[in-house]
Amino acid sequence: MCVRVLLVDDDERIRQALCLALSDEGFTVDEAGSGEVALRRLETEHFDVVLVDLTLPGLDGLDVVRTLRSRGDLPIIVVTARADARDMIAGLEAGADDYVTKPLMGDVLAARVRALLRRRGPGREAVRVGELEIRPQEGLVHRAGERVHLTRTEFRLLLELAGAGGRIVTREQLLHKVWGYDYFGDTRLLDVHIRRLRRKVEANPDDPALVLTVRGAGYRMGS
Amino acid sequence: MRLTLRRRVTLSFSLGLLVVTSVLAFATWNLATGYLLRQREAGAARQAELNARLAGASPSAAALGDLLAGPDSAILVLTPFGPVTAGRPVDPGLLPAELLEHPPGTATVTVDGTPMLVVARPLPGGAVYVELSGLQQLDGTFAFLGAMLVAGTIGSALLGAALGSWASGRALRPLAELSSVAGRIAGGDLRARLPAQDDPDLAALAAKFNSTAQALEQRALRDARFASDVSHELRSPLTTMVNAGAVLRRRREHLPGTAGTALELLTSEVDRFARMVVDLLEISRADQTDDPPPEEIALDALVRNVVATREPVPLDLEPAVVIGDRRRLDRVLTNLLDNADRHAGGAVLVRVRECGGRVRLAVEDAGPGVPEDLREQVFERFARGVMAGSRGDDTGSGLGLALVREHVHRLGGRVWVEDRLPAGARFVVEMVLRSSDG
Repeated sequence: MCVRVLLVDDDERIRQALCLALSDEGFTVDEAGSGEVALRRLETEHFDVVLVDLTLPGLDGLDVVRTLRSRGDLPIIVVTARADARDMIAGLEAGADDYVTKPLMGDVLAARVRALLRRRGPGREAVRVGELEIRPQEGLVHRAGERVHLTRTEFRLLLELAGAGGRIVTREQLLHKVWGYDYFGDTRLLDVHIRRLRRKVEANPDDPALVLTVRGAGYRMGS
Repeated sequence: MRLTLRRRVTLSFSLGLLVVTSVLAFATWNLATGYLLRQREAGAARQAELNARLAGASPSAAALGDLLAGPDSAILVLTPFGPVTAGRPVDPGLLPAELLEHPPGTATVTVDGTPMLVVARPLPGGAVYVELSGLQQLDGTFAFLGAMLVAGTIGSALLGAALGSWASGRALRPLAELSSVAGRIAGGDLRARLPAQDDPDLAALAAKFNSTAQALEQRALRDARFASDVSHELRSPLTTMVNAGAVLRRRREHLPGTAGTALELLTSEVDRFARMVVDLLEISRADQTDDPPPEEIALDALVRNVVATREPVPLDLEPAVVIGDRRRLDRVLTNLLDNADRHAGGAVLVRVRECGGRVRLAVEDAGPGVPEDLREQVFERFARGVMAGSRGDDTGSGLGLALVREHVHRLGGRVWVEDRLPAGARFVVEMVLRSSDG
């Protein structure tokens, strides 16, 4: 399978270097120098993953992420030059699936992309948790009969939790299974996704009944 | 010991009122007692005048007895033939001689412990009429007046103290506010400001303080922006360099000989440079407060997770829960393991042990160890050069252990290195233990 990646960055040299490095990893890489160009191309062309630099001239990187997220569940990785947590959290809140900090290495980025694109796991039976019905094969989630739109990452996160059947899943396990993270478990990535997931599947996101936090350990599914 | 401003104001108020009321009380006492005594003297003199006339030149004791005003009074008529007395017995020798020799006149004397007013009037025939009347009643009045005045003075001093305390408290309230706001600013809250003041004296101070705080905040923001810009500006070209380097390294075989060696040198140094910049940016950000809220971390599980991603290392773990930022703790252990890999051929044991309310995370290696005089220095930034002979093929940033120390400080713990027997070094991180039931 040939993975098509759209790289949105205003720095031409970075685009070129990353194109070379990602091509070495076996990806087909297209470039866009601005958010406007990227959104235009994404309307007509198919890509598997989008890499968005947050500091773009004109249309801001965050707006690009938001617009793309409103269009569908295309996997998005945010690229930031600032290691400060605000940018990263803003990017994830806007709907990104993962983030990397510059200077990023082509091979690290490639691993992230592969983790995002991994198959949805072995075909499992539909899982019911409370009002939720998860159908792994179709990638559909219904709450009380109504379809809930989850991104691929949110879906995998939900599936990992539901698959544990009420047992605790540690943060490390979730980071490893959903994002392919090994260490430097930046739990903020997980925290933001859990928040996003709760907003979509919980009746009252402030008082979750399905995705429960187990203090100091991780998360588990309530019934 | 120096008194506080508030105490001093209270004390001055109290002392001031005490002085003023004492003077007033003293004057009142003098005027009132003088006036009362003169009134009493005048009354007694008139009465004696009248009585002297009634008594006549040579009265009998019985006649004098009728003239007595009360049980405490006494009347003496000193005739050349001896005294005639009535009422309370009084020794004529106690009376002032001056008064008896040159009547009329008045005086006060004390007879058997009782104060008495003495009025003398000349009688025809060289006799002297002397009437003594008790002053106890007046003394009682004086005592009452005196008590009232003393009580009033003490009361006003206390009132002064209370007033001073209240007034100084009120006057110092803006100062207390100022101190609390200054404390918040010192604590890192640069947005803290004093509320607007109505009082023109305080308004100037508040305005000055607020503008200073504003300038400080602006400056901190500028510095942060600069650090952030530098970070951004360095990271972008580094991204290009490391990726171009990686692409070149894959094609190493196409560049034989000198060019290949140069390429190797270039790419490995670019990688090291990138690591150094990342570590440097991390260490310069280490004091910034964008930490997530501290959480409970199972230290033993964290160690297992970190080690699971590396070359296997023997573990000896006790369950322990600590409070902090997981990312920092990850980084501490990773850097210690990297350090062991780089300088001592890898860690030989990672241990977590409870130790009297604290928990110790130890990373042991079997390398050359760290000489005693360098054990502080190895945690300095760019301290790599201090270990003789270890510089050669070193690919570290020189900031690994410095970052460990920064992170451990931020986690509220401490870190040191000690000897391991028979050979090697043991890096120990000690943190407060939350619980050991992990």
